[in-house]
Amino acid sequence: MVKTEKFIPKAIEKIKAKAQGKTIIALSGGVDSSVCAILAHRAIGDNLIPIYIDTGLMRKGETERIKGIFGDMNLQIIDAKDRFLDSLVGIKDPEEKRKAVGETFIRVFEEEALGVEAECLIQGTIYPDKIESDGGIKSHHNVGGLPEHINFKHIIEPIDDLYKDEVREVAHALELPEEICERMPFPGPGLSVRIIGEVTREKIEVVREANAIVEEELLEQFFPWQTFAAVLGKGTGVKGDLRVHGWIVAVRAVGSRDGMTAEALDLPWDTLRKISSRITGEIPTAARVVYDITPKPPATIEFE
Amino acid sequence: MEELRILVINNHGQFCHLIHRTVRDLDMDTSIVPNTTPVEEVIAEKPDGLIFSGGPSLERGGLCEEYAKELDIPILGICLGHQLIAHAYGGSTGAGSHGGYAAVDVEVVEEDDILKRLGPRISTWASHGDEVTELPPGFVKLARSEICAIEAMKHPDKPLYGVQWHPEVAHTDKGEELFRNFFEVCANYNK
Repeated sequence: MVKTEKFIPKAIEKIKAKAQGKTIIALSGGVDSSVCAILAHRAIGDNLIPIYIDTGLMRKGETERIKGIFGDMNLQIIDAKDRFLDSLVGIKDPEEKRKAVGETFIRVFEEEALGVEAECLIQGTIYPDKIESDGGIKSHHNVGGLPEHINFKHIIEPIDDLYKDEVREVAHALELPEEICERMPFPGPGLSVRIIGEVTREKIEVVREANAIVEEELLEQFFPWQTFAAVLGKGTGVKGDLRVHGWIVAVRAVGSRDGMTAEALDLPWDTLRKISSRITGEIPTAARVVYDITPKPPATIEFE
Repeated sequence: MEELRILVINNHGQFCHLIHRTVRDLDMDTSIVPNTTPVEEVIAEKPDGLIFSGGPSLERGGLCEEYAKELDIPILGICLGHQLIAHAYGGSTGAGSHGGYAAVDVEVVEEDDILKRLGPRISTWASHGDEVTELPPGFVKLARSEICAIEAMKHPDKPLYGVQWHPEVAHTDKGEELFRNFFEVCANYNK
């Protein structure tokens, strides 16, 4: 396990030694990039420019939360919703989707970086990212995808020797808000991988609302390692004597130590019923709710 | 136990870094090395033992079969690593009748060295389509399950061991014990 009292000053020293001029970091609101942002801010102060890109694929209330926590750190919030959604039009294959989001991310980020004349880049890569990208299971959008048109003097990866739970320990030691320290993993491509097939504005709205409901019902009561909703496709339903051809929403809730293996939570029937009733009741176009009981392996935690 | 130098050979398996982590958390000196590292370079690292990670296919097993045949140090093969050891010594591998995913109840046939104190049954996690279908000549079967006849094996004389399941994942029972048993083999070898 990481010794935070040694790790933190050492990491700050390393950043100080490497960073020159304006240094940027892409802040996602997850624990990894948040920890890097705090370490870097302590190292180089106002030379750090954290950039948060609103991809339109974020969870409900995410952008506001980021503003609240990092607002006093030069934070640049970029609204790129349309660009991301446009880049996803017509794409059905999961890996293609990940690539499209990753690519757009890099382009938007690159433009912003050129604008602030950044010389260095900080990335929140953690140890498993490096190894996993190598195996070809899923591509990680922050590994291997770097801005091509900027010659950064240095790319700094302050936590690339740490595992997720170690990053959380550092986050606690840095006194980041509890909700960031213990934030559930959220995929880089955002809600786009919680939609089977093509990503449309309508499906994003459905999946965003459904995710919020699932989190509200499960997070504080059952402490899942990860929980979310995904939109699978359309099915027939009936609401108040009217036929509805509406969305089928899958609920996922898993227990895990590190995300590498996982099992579906054994949720009480009443809880599942309440989630089903809320999703179909509060989202007019949702017709059906299913609970995914598959462990990992053979399934993965996310759907795409 | 003294600190040993254990190299994790990366066969591109998704759990490779979990092996590294488990070994590190058990206070061993460890690093992950590519499976294309030449034999001489592996020797130059002066390892006390090697662990072959899992991976997608025999074709991506790099030089593991050479390590298994040429090096005189203890080796633990996991999943594909287990199959690579079998392949190197003339055993057969192929698709099982039933892929092993998630929980698999394993019956320990012979505790030997690496399964010491793990019997008679352990609940393990697996993730494999292929398996060892025929033991290499002389090899000893150490464990079996309902879905896979050769869950674990060892070389008749050399300290070469293979397990089909993943002792490095959180959902496997007594995974750390298996690694500790292997370290004991490494610590006592050639002494």
